[in-house]
Amino acid sequence: MVATGRLADFAYLDPGAVYLDSACQSLRPQPVLDALTEYYTTYNACGGRVKYAWGTRVDREVQDTRKAVLDLLGLSTRGHAVSFTLNTTFGLNLLLQQLPQGRFGQVVTSHIEHNSVFLPTMTAARRLGVPRLVLDRASDGALVYQPAQLERAVVVVNVASNIDGRLLTNLTDLVRDTHARGGIVILDAAQALAHERSLLAKTEADALCFSAHKMYGASLGVVVATHDLLGSLDLTFVGGGMVSDVREDSYDLLADDPGALLEPGLQAWGEIIALHRAIQWLGQVRPGGRAAAEHIQGLSQRLFEGLSDIPGLTLINTEASPVISVYAPKQDSHRLAVFLSQSQIMVRSGYFCAHHYLKDQLGLPPLLRFSLGLHSTTADIDQATQALARLMKGLS
Amino acid sequence: MAAVSARYRRYLGTAWNCTLRRVTFRPCDTTFKQDIKDHLLAPLAVRRPKLVGPASIALEVVALLVVLTTVWSAYVVVKSGVNLYVYGTCNKQDSASCSLGAEACAIPDQTPTFGESLLSGDVIGAFGNDFVSLGETFSQIPSRMQNWDAEEYLPANASFLNDYDAKKETALEVIDPGCTYCLQLFNNIEEAGFDDRMNLTYIAYPIASADGYKFKNSLLVTQYLEALRLNPLEGAATPVDWEILRRIFTEDNDKGVSWQSVINGAEPDAATALLQDWSAEFGLSPEQVATVASVAASDEVADIIATNTQLVEESIDTVKIPSIIFDGRRHDGLVSVGDLE
Repeated sequence: MVATGRLADFAYLDPGAVYLDSACQSLRPQPVLDALTEYYTTYNACGGRVKYAWGTRVDREVQDTRKAVLDLLGLSTRGHAVSFTLNTTFGLNLLLQQLPQGRFGQVVTSHIEHNSVFLPTMTAARRLGVPRLVLDRASDGALVYQPAQLERAVVVVNVASNIDGRLLTNLTDLVRDTHARGGIVILDAAQALAHERSLLAKTEADALCFSAHKMYGASLGVVVATHDLLGSLDLTFVGGGMVSDVREDSYDLLADDPGALLEPGLQAWGEIIALHRAIQWLGQVRPGGRAAAEHIQGLSQRLFEGLSDIPGLTLINTEASPVISVYAPKQDSHRLAVFLSQSQIMVRSGYFCAHHYLKDQLGLPPLLRFSLGLHSTTADIDQATQALARLMKGLS
Repeated sequence: MAAVSARYRRYLGTAWNCTLRRVTFRPCDTTFKQDIKDHLLAPLAVRRPKLVGPASIALEVVALLVVLTTVWSAYVVVKSGVNLYVYGTCNKQDSASCSLGAEACAIPDQTPTFGESLLSGDVIGAFGNDFVSLGETFSQIPSRMQNWDAEEYLPANASFLNDYDAKKETALEVIDPGCTYCLQLFNNIEEAGFDDRMNLTYIAYPIASADGYKFKNSLLVTQYLEALRLNPLEGAATPVDWEILRRIFTEDNDKGVSWQSVINGAEPDAATALLQDWSAEFGLSPEQVATVASVAASDEVADIIATNTQLVEESIDTVKIPSIIFDGRRHDGLVSVGDLE
């Protein structure tokens, strides 16, 4: 791979800093920061409820963001709506904890899920009074299932793992088989939206949740759901901004805005607007003259090879990915993370909110995770792998 | 101070929370110790990763020593506090070394100190002696709180500085004639007029040391004092033993040297001659002086001194000389004029 320098949109970054935790939160490019700053400094108004100029501009910008999200996924407003919330976990809970009683026969998920999926599926199954089935994922990321296991199921799985980046390669089949048996599919797309969107193009899943802050936007959660699913929810989390009229003991929900059903109260208007800018930026950016996905793929390969060459290190990944987890049987990952931090190399250590899979199922010690973003450079990767190699050699 | 600084306060909070959980038998799942260790070792890991292992062990050892010294310090603070309350000194084995109590001549404890026991390889003895000593101190707490009545501790043949008056309260001094703080106490007593308000008497207690007595002629003087008590001079306005004590404590020789210093530095023969000269000066005939000299060396006086020693060490149980019992309390060490008034 040809060495690439830092994108100008991340010029604010300290040249010595090597940030390799984009799976948690990506760095924001300057245009996104500018959009956020512009909102706060020039038209800082509420949306959805005011008639003055600042407010009507906010409404326009928010509508544009909703459309940009749907465009990004190849979906249309005819069948889908976009809601904004706190983060992926909050979005998944908004859906799962408001599913109607009696319609579903079971909740299905997989072992490799993040706690944002794993935990709400437990509480949802308990609330619905149905069994919960936890399935395996193949090494290529496909959900391992028998169609009969999807009978009237609420299937909740991730599209890309936050441990090793493996993808839900049988997404299309899963959606088809689930729908055929009266079930629905809700996706955790938190790790997929930034660099693995192709799997989600024109998806027929019933809903997907993701976080803007993992795809170069400001801190924000996003829910994209079908009108059918949103209309079926047994809403218990309600408030201002989602009703057209209120009486002493009843209220009318907004009839023409399904997305508002998951948006009680004031929203993070600046962050929503900044997401639109992040989506635009993602569509335009060409690091080293290449498409963003191609650039990330090259960096991923370099990182995978660099880590594979370090003696004493065990890789969880079987192939290159923007998210790579490793561990050294004789070294504590938290300690390695602290030592790397001394050299301004920032990596994640621990179980990454996937305790069940890593700790209970695989019996692994805490891991060290390297995750790439579009701010990353070949020099960052080389600096990180060389520092880790030196540490491993010295500590052994 | 560094631990409560703004930079480290959160670490202290975490450590304290963990300590509270552990002492209440609840699990503490913090990685605080590991976090601190890793952050301390990080600069070394970047430059010399091979040294991380030995440095990590060294940190563990240092941490263990810090814990041990903290525990030991807490123990010493408690022990010193209780000793200060019970005996008026934070160091029971060498009371003069503690600046927190009143000034006094220490009655040395012949038991090996903790350090001496350790140096001699007696680890069990080191801890055992210390804990026994602390136990003794705790057992004396009730006696500290008791109402002290000097009448209950009077020696045989007690002599009073002034004529005994049943209407006055009795005060009892425990003194060593060679101790400079006893000299100061006597002067404070006279300045405060304490001897006029009280029936003042004393127990002469020569402080023993590893090789005899702390003041080499204290036993000799004590023998003479007891002999004079056994043979009081009839018609004397002040008992001769008190006259001798007053001379030792308040007067100087013709060179301006206090008689206490002269006696402390004198050879036994010279000290004996002085005591005999003073006895004659205070009214004893040559025959009486000879009798006193003979009685001073007798078994009878030796028995009295032994009984008084037992009285001081076991009943009064003080570790500081002078001590004085009055006003329902035992006052250890030098008492100021103000407190005597």
